[in-house]
Amino acid sequence: MGSNRHRWVISLDGSVLPDRSLIGGKAWSIARMMSLGLPVPPAFVVTTEACKAFLADGAFSTELEAEISDGIAGLEKLTGRSFGKGDRPLLVSVRSGAPVSMPGMMDTILNLGITADTERALVVECGDPAFARDVHRRFFDLFAHIVLKAGVENFSKEGNAESWNRQVAVATGSPLPCTAPERLLAAVRAVFDSWNSRRAKRYREHHSIPHDLGTAVTVQAMVFGNLDDRSGTGVLFSRNPSTGDRKPFGEYLARAQGEDIVSGKFTPDTLDTMKTSVPAAYEALMASSAMLERENGDVQDIEFTVQKGELFLLQSRSAKRAPAAAIRIAIDMAREGAISEETALDRITPEQVRLILAPRLADGQSDNAKVIACGEGACPGVGRGIVVTSSDEAEARASTGEAVILARPTTSPDDVHGMLAAKAIITEAGGSTSHAAVVSRALGLPCVVGCGSGSLEFLSGRIVTVDGALGRIFEGALDVVTPDETSDERLTVLTRWAKARSRLIVHLPSEAPSEDLIDLNTVEGGEDLKRLPGLIRGYRGARGGAIASDEGIRAALQEKLEFVVGEPVLPLLIAAIRSQTKKAAGEMLAAETASS
Amino acid sequence: MSDMHLALHGLAIKKHASPKDIAEIVGMDAERVASLLAEAESRGRVARAGGKFVLTAPAQVALRSEYSRVYAEQRSSAAMNAAYDDFEKVNVWLKQLITDWQTMDVGGEKLPNDHSNKEGDEKIIDRLGDLHERSEPILKRMAASLPRLGIYLQMLTAALERAEDGAIEWVSDVRIASYHTVWFEMHEDLLRALGRERVE
Repeated sequence: MGSNRHRWVISLDGSVLPDRSLIGGKAWSIARMMSLGLPVPPAFVVTTEACKAFLADGAFSTELEAEISDGIAGLEKLTGRSFGKGDRPLLVSVRSGAPVSMPGMMDTILNLGITADTERALVVECGDPAFARDVHRRFFDLFAHIVLKAGVENFSKEGNAESWNRQVAVATGSPLPCTAPERLLAAVRAVFDSWNSRRAKRYREHHSIPHDLGTAVTVQAMVFGNLDDRSGTGVLFSRNPSTGDRKPFGEYLARAQGEDIVSGKFTPDTLDTMKTSVPAAYEALMASSAMLERENGDVQDIEFTVQKGELFLLQSRSAKRAPAAAIRIAIDMAREGAISEETALDRITPEQVRLILAPRLADGQSDNAKVIACGEGACPGVGRGIVVTSSDEAEARASTGEAVILARPTTSPDDVHGMLAAKAIITEAGGSTSHAAVVSRALGLPCVVGCGSGSLEFLSGRIVTVDGALGRIFEGALDVVTPDETSDERLTVLTRWAKARSRLIVHLPSEAPSEDLIDLNTVEGGEDLKRLPGLIRGYRGARGGAIASDEGIRAALQEKLEFVVGEPVLPLLIAAIRSQTKKAAGEMLAAETASS
Repeated sequence: MSDMHLALHGLAIKKHASPKDIAEIVGMDAERVASLLAEAESRGRVARAGGKFVLTAPAQVALRSEYSRVYAEQRSSAAMNAAYDDFEKVNVWLKQLITDWQTMDVGGEKLPNDHSNKEGDEKIIDRLGDLHERSEPILKRMAASLPRLGIYLQMLTAALERAEDGAIEWVSDVRIASYHTVWFEMHEDLLRALGRERVE
């Protein structure tokens, strides 16, 4: 298909990299991966220009309908499959893609192209009737929920297209459009409409993004990881996101679709199984991972599918990582020359450093300690104290300075005052979404939930240590250590880099100057962030009160202090660098606006 | 329903609160609530702690015993009960969403969300916006039977918009009228009014 002949639709083949404002962020990254020679399922994009025309006219032009149909014909040719009919059905995903990512835009529709006929064809192709039915059900679920905006609906696994369609008709007044092409047009239209959703409009207003940019729609062929033994699906991190180890880390599940891994119903295998069953795809994956990390300058989280031995990359983005991994990766990548020291520092938040330096059980402490209860760890951290079983008692005893652990069958809003007073929370029932789990995470309190009915009563009045990461409650008060930032090799490196860049000096209390500074612990309001600027104004330095916090650092920079005193030093230095970069960016923007 | 009942009901939801906090959720004047609480205090129904109040144990029991009479109409309304059942379904999503907000998945391991991933945070706030828009009709159906519930919808919208504008503490901070705080209080209100039990 020659994309130049078309006005509204561009097929992506990697030969050109169309303008991001025309095809949106998602299609742009697909096109970019293609241009790097990476294997990506074929796709076409309905441009932002088409969106603008649609929003102006309120209807599809026959020209646009014809071009979308040509786009599908192009995918049929590339995949050797046919859309909505035939023995080898083509299914597509439909995604919104504005030039700038924003909230309120339509979520992804998967499996579009599945119909009663193609469901039968898929059964023959993959030999798994339950899977084909589930593909169909998932499509109904997404289409009804997202495109038709049907209320709370659950399509039962026992049903079929007919019964689900009846449900849709009851909820929305009419069934789904009959044919695959009609459904595709409805989905494209829903993406266009989402451009003017409440959230999208508000976001544009808040961020001064013009209302007339429009959104593109990406239509991409779906690939299947469950067609045979040489098919599968997985996730790959270009480095280990838990430890930061410089080695690809991932999971692979043969004969499966992406959602099987996410659902947790199946236990995926390591990548070694992939190496044996589909060696060529494995090699291609390793090469892709290295290339994507290099091109994007950051650790990648890559979703992929292998279809009959052939690798397809579905998505690649910067990987989320544990705090310790974040620190290791930032330093390693700077040392490898992949990123600058500034970028390395920019990738670490003050909060991540604080989490690493949070108190924990001393080495070997848990080895011989007696576990007297255990459950699901809901919020990490260590808390020690005497177990009380009522929130009122927790509050009363904590107010006299006693360290208390609150143990409840479950918690409710009636218990929040007790939770606020406790060093840790333990409950008998409930999981990671229970009230106790949710509230303790909001408060940063160690919490173990679901220890079992009746398992906590006997603890009342005993001294225990709660480990919220392990989900264990130990007898007695175990030793807790607070890691020292100056004895950690990596933190020392980062501190050195940060000191060279922070305009504000941060002294450890033991090394602090004794003159020209204000001790905020000795003045009234020193804990009050709002009063901080007024209190520190005119001094060279400050300590105590609220100064050793991210907001305190902001105030110190604003009042042009030379130094602050606090511990640990590194989070404060990072906060200072973040604050000064943000300020510099703001000034640059202001200067640009003034000069234009 | 008497103003006194409503003021004490508001206190029961807030647990430990100033007249102003209570006035906000029950839609009464703060001074009126203050004078009702002063009267309740003289009768031993509430106790003062600092500038805030708590219900005394006998008042808790008395309040519970009044609900079935005060909310008889709502309890027998099919429309209200159907709307509440739909609310319970959305409530499950909300709990999952708040959990997703508070945790991050790192290579299959659940860690507390350190909010270092701005894009991830924004996605969840976007989901919260979607959930809000899907809950709105349900809350309006309930407010048709019990109009004061409309106050919660306003408070939820306000919290959502603050979070959407970048003040992320308005998602779930327990110390302010964040989305989760208001939702939880509204849920507590509904449980009491309709005589339902909380499902953990």
